[in-house]
Amino acid sequence: MSAEVTGPETRTAGARHGDPAGGTAPRPAGSTAEATTAGAEVVASGWGWRHAGREKPALAGVDFRIAPGERVLLVGPSGAGKSTLLHALAGVLPADDDEAESTGSLLVGAGAERVTTGLMQQDPETQVVQSKVGDDVAFGAENLAVPREEIWPRVRQALDAVGLGGLPLDHPTSSLSGGQKQRLALAGILAMRPSLLLLDEPTANLDPDGVEEVRDAVVRVLERTGATAFIVEHRLAAWAPHVDRVLVLEPSGGVIASGTPEQLFAPGETRERLIAAGVWVPGFVPEVSVDAVAAARGTAGGPAGGEADRTASPAPAPCVAMARGLAVGRGSAKRGDAPTLAGVDLDLTAGRALCVTGPNGAGKSTLALTLGGLLPEFGGEYAYTTASGRLPRRPYRWRAADLVSRIGSVFQEPEHQFVTATVREELEYGQRHARDDGGEPLFSEEEIADRTDRLLERLRLAELADANPFTLSGGEKRRLSVAAVLATRPRVLVLDEPTFGQDANTWRELAELMLAERRAGTVIVAVTHDEHFAAAIGAEQVDVRDLAEHPGTAAPAGNRGPGRLSLEPSARASTSYLGRANPLAKLVALACVTIPLVVSMDFVSAGIVVAATLAMLPLSGVRIVDFLRRTWPLMIAAVFAAWGTALVGEKTGEILFEAGWYSISTGSVTGGLATGLRIFAVALPAVLIVASTDPTDLATGLAQKARLPHRFVLGALAAMRLVGLLAEEWQVLGMARRARGVGSNGSPWQRMKANGGQAFGLIVQAIRRASRLAVSMEAKGFGGPERTWAHDSVFTGRDAVVVLGGLLLGVVAVSAAMALGAWNVVWAS
Amino acid sequence: MATPINPAAPSTAKAPQRAWRVVDIVVASVIAVVSGVIFWAWNMSYAGLDFLWVAFPPSSGLVMGMWLFPGVLGALIIRKPGAALYCELLAAIVSAFMGSQWGLTVLMSGLVQGLGAEVVFASLRYRRWGLPAAMVAGGGMALFGTFNELFIVNWFPMYTLPMKFAYMGFAIVSGVVIAGLVSWVATRAIARTGALSSLASRRAAQEPVAG
Repeated sequence: MSAEVTGPETRTAGARHGDPAGGTAPRPAGSTAEATTAGAEVVASGWGWRHAGREKPALAGVDFRIAPGERVLLVGPSGAGKSTLLHALAGVLPADDDEAESTGSLLVGAGAERVTTGLMQQDPETQVVQSKVGDDVAFGAENLAVPREEIWPRVRQALDAVGLGGLPLDHPTSSLSGGQKQRLALAGILAMRPSLLLLDEPTANLDPDGVEEVRDAVVRVLERTGATAFIVEHRLAAWAPHVDRVLVLEPSGGVIASGTPEQLFAPGETRERLIAAGVWVPGFVPEVSVDAVAAARGTAGGPAGGEADRTASPAPAPCVAMARGLAVGRGSAKRGDAPTLAGVDLDLTAGRALCVTGPNGAGKSTLALTLGGLLPEFGGEYAYTTASGRLPRRPYRWRAADLVSRIGSVFQEPEHQFVTATVREELEYGQRHARDDGGEPLFSEEEIADRTDRLLERLRLAELADANPFTLSGGEKRRLSVAAVLATRPRVLVLDEPTFGQDANTWRELAELMLAERRAGTVIVAVTHDEHFAAAIGAEQVDVRDLAEHPGTAAPAGNRGPGRLSLEPSARASTSYLGRANPLAKLVALACVTIPLVVSMDFVSAGIVVAATLAMLPLSGVRIVDFLRRTWPLMIAAVFAAWGTALVGEKTGEILFEAGWYSISTGSVTGGLATGLRIFAVALPAVLIVASTDPTDLATGLAQKARLPHRFVLGALAAMRLVGLLAEEWQVLGMARRARGVGSNGSPWQRMKANGGQAFGLIVQAIRRASRLAVSMEAKGFGGPERTWAHDSVFTGRDAVVVLGGLLLGVVAVSAAMALGAWNVVWAS
Repeated sequence: MATPINPAAPSTAKAPQRAWRVVDIVVASVIAVVSGVIFWAWNMSYAGLDFLWVAFPPSSGLVMGMWLFPGVLGALIIRKPGAALYCELLAAIVSAFMGSQWGLTVLMSGLVQGLGAEVVFASLRYRRWGLPAAMVAGGGMALFGTFNELFIVNWFPMYTLPMKFAYMGFAIVSGVVIAGLVSWVATRAIARTGALSSLASRRAAQEPVAG
């Protein structure tokens, strides 16, 4: 029998359809050594879906019948509901939401077989759920309640199938490149033995090598398993040769064309229609219209139309900025880090356009940030000469307000640069904050209004002037973020992957804008893999490795370096004596040590605990340096707590100091010292335990042994994996907002406002990520009441030792304090 | 896996959906984690904020709200029973993993502070998410939190009683303004970006202030 995905009436649990009786662990056909599963049939009849809170349906009247094993490419303009259809097939649309509405029926699988589906989405970061490669692949299988002994063979098989078989199972997922993360996601899906594979722009965030790597892995997997597949992708050329059928969707409508790729992509009406909608049909490159460029000249910042093209003019163009022996990198030479790139000589002359290419991790983005005045130079010189010479030569030293009218940076993710609540304010913001060499406002209010109006018109955003920037479509966001930077007429424009994920129409508009800017004398430096874009704006293409005299020791792709914030213990700590103990045992031991300190405030018990903790340092595998790095804030906190008590605590004994109503006595000083030592003693053992505890082990223990609800424990764990990513995003946001004229070096109030805005930006990004992560997890079957565990949380003799040790320390501390008469219960005073 | 597939139960009751969905759990978790990251970033840019309170140590209660916002923000966004408690507790756990001053007792703090907000939202039967509810919840967190700090764990046993109450008063002001008002403003601003479209708070920006 088959399950209907029809909205409120039928709740389809993530990733599973069919067999509404449920209850037993799924046993896909052929769950033996080879991962062969037959494809599922998919039938839609008059199906439609309206999202909660929307007036128009995302899709309506969708009809199709897809045979088992067929590979389908879904195409259509943005907003055509492609992702909605995939989410429906994956069973992750909120069918229990009263405000959403569903019509018709969508059937996955015919006959009695159980259907497992796998969904892969665009953002590699939210495809990964766990922090270790093996655990991540096992996650979906665990949710389907596959028995443990069957999980690990499946995991290894799946990793082999996607070409990641060479990685150890405990390899950290955070050190994978984007392409590897996507292949990892595919392995996780494969381990679930799906008969329907749903790929939602799986390669949109990847460079050309990553695209091929993932595409090849997908094709290989489909050939091996015979699963049915739906693929949504922006750029169709990579996929067209590998699919059987193309379905063309229309916004708020249904399927308007269906056929083989050869039929639909051949010159003809459908092809023209797709091109008009901005779809990247194979073999199509938009033509950049010279008329549009001419029309843009008047509005996009340049001199009047009649002026000769500077790039073609024989007179040498003036040099706006130049780099000599420039080295770029994230670390600092003082700490012994190596630059990513060194010895870069560049003359940024007016009207020059440069497209920088090269592999991931070669330092392209770092170079762009340095040229944008957002990262300090690692070494060498980078100078921008102003007419008056009043500003420092190094752009990094400027205030954000000085930067916006001179060097504009456009970040890859438009949302990182939105700093206001409406489209119009977004365009005005930089203009209003821009300052000339003398520190006076650069533009008058009339100029600002006039230029904003023209930009809105030029970029077809006039009707959206009052909309919140975050609510725009992808293409609109991109146009707005570029326009907001152009609004202040910077003389140097630095762009990071401006055409990533854009449809052909937005792409053409971007190229025309850049061409117009260039003719007006703006320097353009773009980091891009897009050769067509470089050609369209007539840019020189340079491989970043050829720019550098001697390329530095580039970090391998995806490796974010040791500075990345992480909650994982170091390898040394996790294999130490304490590192291998069960986290629950450690928690119990910690409680035994902490309780006496909470009950009593005295030097004896606190002193014993501090000494014992230091003595146990070798057991935790935590290096002294790391330990100090983690504990210095505690010392400061302890000192201030001591000070507070000394100043405002009860006065006893001899008065040492008196001024106005302040007084310090011997009694209050002793009390202060005891307070400080107690705070320090409470914190210290926890640092030791935390530094040697893997959050994954803790979660496994809490769910299996402490019987906490696994949905919450695993949800928390998945979120904790994002901590490093979010910390990195915080730094990117800081730079992206500086490029828009926000913050850095203002008054304390301005700084606080800037920090608040940055925190807001981070929360918005985090919630979006969380929603996507929730879809990934649900699509992997997460959320059901029962699951199996690939790892078993066990207690061993070691754990008994740990608990006894904690208990012993607690008892010793209490008895010693009592014996010496120091025991001092805090509630008694 | 025995996921209930619910063939014919069109929900007729208009009462708020009480059960947590996967998206609620994950978003609540991420709010807690991102709060941990924000604490971390603030610690970096305000290292030595302690000096501000040197003259009158109990005034350090004035920044307490900065450590309370996850509870109110989480509740306003997720709107499920337990959201305030869960977010505040998890934020405390994350800050423990990032290295917190307060050791294991940070869990106790997170639990008690979270309860302070949870009690307020529960007494409103999880139906009111406007400004007054947010501010009372923020104040409740500070009240519960300082009660724990001053009288249960008793971090400052040597403080005189008036000083303890001064600290509590400063903290409540801070809780009402930073954890309450700011979280409410932030929720509406986030709702305007469309990021809450899959959550119960998706229309927060259009709701009446006292809603």
